[in-house]
Amino acid sequence: MKGFLLGLASGSVCLAYCAPILVPYLLGEANKTRRNIVTLLCFLSGRLIGYSLFAVIAWLANVTLVQNLPNRTLVFGLIYTVLAILLILYGFGNPLRCLAKSAKSLGKWAFPGHRMLFPVALGLLTGLNVCPPFLLAFASAAEMESLWGCLMFFLTFFAGTSIYFIPLSGLGLLRRHDFLRPTGRLAAGVIGVYYLCLGLLAIKGSFN
Amino acid sequence: MARVSDDDKGHSRSLVKAILLTLPMLLLTGFMLSGVGLPQERMQQVALTITYVFINGMFFLMMYTRRTNRYRSTLFVVYSLCFVISFISNLVETRGSMVLSHEDMVQGDTPFCHMVIPMVIIPAAFTRTIIFPGSMLEGFAAIGTMLVLWLGASIALGRAWCSWGCFYGGLDEGFSCIAKKPIIKNISKKWTYLPFAILLVIVLTSAASLSPTYCGWLCPFKAVTEFEEISSSTVLLQTIIFFSLFIGLVIILPILTKRRTQCGLFCPIGAFQSFTNKLNIFDVRIDPEKCSKCNLCSKVCPTFSVDSESIDAGKPRITCTKCGKCVDSCPKEAVSFHIKGTPIGLSHERARLLFVYPAFLFLSIMASGMVFGALERISLLVTTGSMIR
Repeated sequence: MKGFLLGLASGSVCLAYCAPILVPYLLGEANKTRRNIVTLLCFLSGRLIGYSLFAVIAWLANVTLVQNLPNRTLVFGLIYTVLAILLILYGFGNPLRCLAKSAKSLGKWAFPGHRMLFPVALGLLTGLNVCPPFLLAFASAAEMESLWGCLMFFLTFFAGTSIYFIPLSGLGLLRRHDFLRPTGRLAAGVIGVYYLCLGLLAIKGSFN
Repeated sequence: MARVSDDDKGHSRSLVKAILLTLPMLLLTGFMLSGVGLPQERMQQVALTITYVFINGMFFLMMYTRRTNRYRSTLFVVYSLCFVISFISNLVETRGSMVLSHEDMVQGDTPFCHMVIPMVIIPAAFTRTIIFPGSMLEGFAAIGTMLVLWLGASIALGRAWCSWGCFYGGLDEGFSCIAKKPIIKNISKKWTYLPFAILLVIVLTSAASLSPTYCGWLCPFKAVTEFEEISSSTVLLQTIIFFSLFIGLVIILPILTKRRTQCGLFCPIGAFQSFTNKLNIFDVRIDPEKCSKCNLCSKVCPTFSVDSESIDAGKPRITCTKCGKCVDSCPKEAVSFHIKGTPIGLSHERARLLFVYPAFLFLSIMASGMVFGALERISLLVTTGSMIR
């Protein structure tokens, strides 16, 4: 319950951190509202995987990963950079075509749902970022003794924050405006360049 | 008086009519320039006279030749150059350099720029709070004047602000006039959506980081106004971005494309301003009955606002800055300024006059102070060897 309430209290900040990535992507895809809900679920599931992964790693590593500042800066710098590259490819290139080509070479049957991998990847990388609500949740979760308790805390925190994402599926109502699709894609690319700068600065900062 | 070229002969009106049409502008700019009293120093008197003659000369030629863009463009480019000269001279005079120290940034000692108007006005409307990273108390009158000017110009002229008022737009317009022919001719339509994408990015990242992302990361005009002292890797990277964007978008690409690439492919404030085109009564229309589909308007449009789709639709895209270049260049006179609600193709010249009077008056309000200030600095340089008092 504590995790859920914390998520509910800080979810708007969480949304503010994720919206720069999610909004351009949803606009760029120009899907119907129903399809946007599926995309949103994929994004959120990626985010959930990110949270859970973080909880497990942090619990296993006895929280040293986040406590050690240079390590933390390096890790999040690298995550920012990977996220940025994905966004730049999406915005200025055609990653779906690239993904489709890769999937074809591996056997098309192996990736029947490759279109959904991209929002999952975005969600995962966003979930691994340290935004202020995440740090709050992390501080509370660090007090948990068991892995199960830690996971449950993040799960309920995730549920609390996810409520704020529901209205974003309504962006599907804007799909009749043709110019929003290229605008959304380009915005994703520009956001990617911005995150690339932040990521590279963070990586450089970790070596100082 | 400049001779009218062969091209213009068929369009030019009589000298008497042109003088009569220029009279209101002569009076208005006369009142405007002498409003605070005539200067006592001879050097300033000369600068004021040159400014007055130059501005009204441009308007007279607009009236006489019935051409809009050539003379607007000349005044617009001169205005931007004069802005840079007088702004940098003022900065160096008051602060010692173009660099803002970290202490200046912390204390919010940053000057107001029209680029932040949307950032200021939206929270003001919703929360009655003006959020601006600078001192509002000392320059409140100037800021208030600029807000009123922007609001008035947006309602009256829409995105014409970008070709008749913005003191940055003239720089890439100037560079776009250098080459005789464009080297890069085909630019994908996709890139014309970039200003809207950048606007979306700024809104989202500013909300997430609670900081003005455009001023911090993307403004190319920091290169010719002021920038933060390089004290960290972040500031170094930001400065590299500012200068690269300025060199790329304001100098190199305009020369290569003969278009205003900063205004047409990058400026998020221009994108924001595009929506005000819906508010005002003036627009540009293409008469389908006269149009021969030569696409000349599309080739010359400096902000990529005319393409084959918009020609078929009979009007430019929402990003049109009403510079008048397409109107002047159309060999069939199919493109014209237009007043919403009136039939297309009727009273071309009347619609042009009704638009040009307020637009030019606005340009002269913005330009006169800058041209006067720059002339003063130049005369100071000639007489004392330095632009700084």
